[in-house]
Amino acid sequence: MFWLKRLLSIAAGIGACFLIDFVAHHQSDYAQRLIVLVGLYITLAVSLNLINGITGQFSIGHAAFYQVGAYLAGFTTLTYFQNQKGMAGPGLVVFIGGVTLACLGLAIRFSPEEKSDTLRFIASCLAGLAGIVLIASCFTNIPFEPYLIGALLLGSVWLKAPREVSRTTAVWGLAILAAGAVFYALFKFGPTLPPLAWLVVMMVVGGAGAAVAGLVVGLPSLRLRGDYLAIVTMGFGEIIRIEVQNRPELGGAYGMNISPKVQPIWLIWLLAVVCIAVCRNLVKTAHGLPFLSVREDEVASSAMGVNVTQVKVIAFVIGSMFAGAAGAMLAHYEGFITGATFAMDTSFIILTMVVLGGTGSITGSVVAAALLSYLPEYLRGLKGPDGTALSVSGASVLAGLLGVVVAVAIIKRVLDHVHKPKPIKAAMYVGGLAAAVVAKLIFQFLLTKSASLRDMHIEAGQLRMVVFAVTLIVLMLLRPQGMFGHHEFSWTWVMKLFGRGKNAPPSEPTPAVAA
Amino acid sequence: MSLLQLKDATIKFGGLTAVNKVNFSLEKGDLFGLIGPNGAGKTTCFNMITGVYEPTSGQIVFEDKDISGTPSNKIAKKGISRTFQNIRLFHDLSVLENVVVGAFLRHKVNLLSALAYLPPAIHETEELKEKALALLEVVDLRPLANIRSADLPYGSQRRLEIARAMATQPKLLLLDEPAAGMNPQEKLDLMSVVRKIRDEHDMTVLLIEHDMRFVMGLCEKIFVLDHGEQIAYGPPAEVRNDPKVIAAYLGEAV
Repeated sequence: MFWLKRLLSIAAGIGACFLIDFVAHHQSDYAQRLIVLVGLYITLAVSLNLINGITGQFSIGHAAFYQVGAYLAGFTTLTYFQNQKGMAGPGLVVFIGGVTLACLGLAIRFSPEEKSDTLRFIASCLAGLAGIVLIASCFTNIPFEPYLIGALLLGSVWLKAPREVSRTTAVWGLAILAAGAVFYALFKFGPTLPPLAWLVVMMVVGGAGAAVAGLVVGLPSLRLRGDYLAIVTMGFGEIIRIEVQNRPELGGAYGMNISPKVQPIWLIWLLAVVCIAVCRNLVKTAHGLPFLSVREDEVASSAMGVNVTQVKVIAFVIGSMFAGAAGAMLAHYEGFITGATFAMDTSFIILTMVVLGGTGSITGSVVAAALLSYLPEYLRGLKGPDGTALSVSGASVLAGLLGVVVAVAIIKRVLDHVHKPKPIKAAMYVGGLAAAVVAKLIFQFLLTKSASLRDMHIEAGQLRMVVFAVTLIVLMLLRPQGMFGHHEFSWTWVMKLFGRGKNAPPSEPTPAVAA
Repeated sequence: MSLLQLKDATIKFGGLTAVNKVNFSLEKGDLFGLIGPNGAGKTTCFNMITGVYEPTSGQIVFEDKDISGTPSNKIAKKGISRTFQNIRLFHDLSVLENVVVGAFLRHKVNLLSALAYLPPAIHETEELKEKALALLEVVDLRPLANIRSADLPYGSQRRLEIARAMATQPKLLLLDEPAAGMNPQEKLDLMSVVRKIRDEHDMTVLLIEHDMRFVMGLCEKIFVLDHGEQIAYGPPAEVRNDPKVIAAYLGEAV
């Protein structure tokens, strides 16, 4: 029964992806691109929600991981198709690195158990020697220098490391060895792969690269809290963007052309589905609770045996991994990427999606991602009476904003201070909105008197940041927990909404996809 | 062999010596009270034992191993769990989930299995929930299992903290003012709960409390701290009549 349900939901998830693919292929290029964008943003928002909402770590550099994935995958494809054997080299390096680590692990395993002071002294000497060789090699041309440094370091670690390290080292070594072997084989036998399989491989490469970036950034910075973490992640985002912009081999500021393009819309949506499923699975099992408890109270979590830093890093790595995979998809779909796609704006849009949907609610992230990636396109598509893009006068924009202020003020007052039955409250909300419309008209009438405001014309498409900002401010004032709060979509919840919740069993598991 | 031993444990914050050369030891199955006036260093002692602070000097020995300076989460794993003076529940989680967080410490299934929603992870989740429900039974909170923990009344929140701490299956349970803010009847109930924890759940209990009737009625050994110094140590009857304790803390009978 369990497996039947599972198979059905997995089939439903994959089926939905193909349905979207099918629908998209009968649309214009523009609409198709929009559908892809929605899919990517859902992945990004849900993965950021794992970090920001579920684990409660305020990261605002998500676009950086998106970029790492995109550029890594794009660059790999490019190199591979330009020079098919060129990338076998890195695979070999990783392979050798893995062999070294595995050997090291074994060596430590069989090193003397009790390390005497003499041994420690020799170890320190060897490490020092390695340093000297390293410095010396900067000035001279010793061909065997890397081997020498390696041997010396190996020796010093062998003499110094405690035995407990050996197992971890050996396991890591074997893992890296395997990765290197796969990498090497891929570039050796890659030419026979169909484009789709290649894209899947690139998705894994992009995801893995971003995950490593997440680990590197996360390990030191996740010991920070709140604002400090936000600053570090923001800084990381900028570093990546500027670094890429100044690398000619990555296309620099011009951007990078990636060919051949691979554009399976269903795969992009499948990534979104998998991302949603993984996050949902985490929250539904007991393994999700440490993540939630870290959000609630770090000291208490720690006292309950939760390794706070580890939990944060895991969330960060999983989140970055999905962002990186989404980046790889973007690179191969668009065929062209530039640093501007991954600027701070993108990070903030993803963050807005998470906050708008409700931090911690996966459903909220999905809905908000769809909404906010569609909204700017909708604004851009608006047509004026003369058929050109709609433009509005400065006066009406300003009046509209003042109207929003009036509406928020009234509704907030009703929300906080009126305790009356629901219908009366609803009527008061409607009254507030009506008052806002009236206020807008009055202000517009007054503001049109000013010639400069009247003659200022703003295209609707350019208002998207204003709309985002206003949405967020309104949200913060009226519903700080976001559209969905901590709630998730489930059929019982829908039934409750229609007033039948009394009979339904409490908190039935979500019949969402579980891949 | 004693379960927990403090050997000259001292902690200084800058120029202030919060706890000065404290020595006591707990045997397995003890019901041990730690009392003293406000600011005497009782909670600091707890923080030292549970790894929130590292002692400046001295040792904390748990089951013959020096644990001073070990991180909190590792100490929890070794078998010491605690409650907090200013309640620190996971407010947005349900009562049941709060306890499952504690029980999760002894989980066996790995994360990947949970991410893929495989049967082992699902079964384990069910098992942990069962365990948590059984513990909620002990503190009489089972009917409220699905309520948001912040919505519980104060006394129940304290009991929930105890259940959460018990869920980590500790050998030593530290209770920081478990009866604060409770009415006399609730205090009586709590006393029987604490006894039950010791007798039926096989845990050693170390508690801080200001209510003398509670401490004297419950604990078998009492340790008195004042200004970070140890001023008395012994069974309740002895401590109650100790002139130093009366002067520092209990006050003269009128």
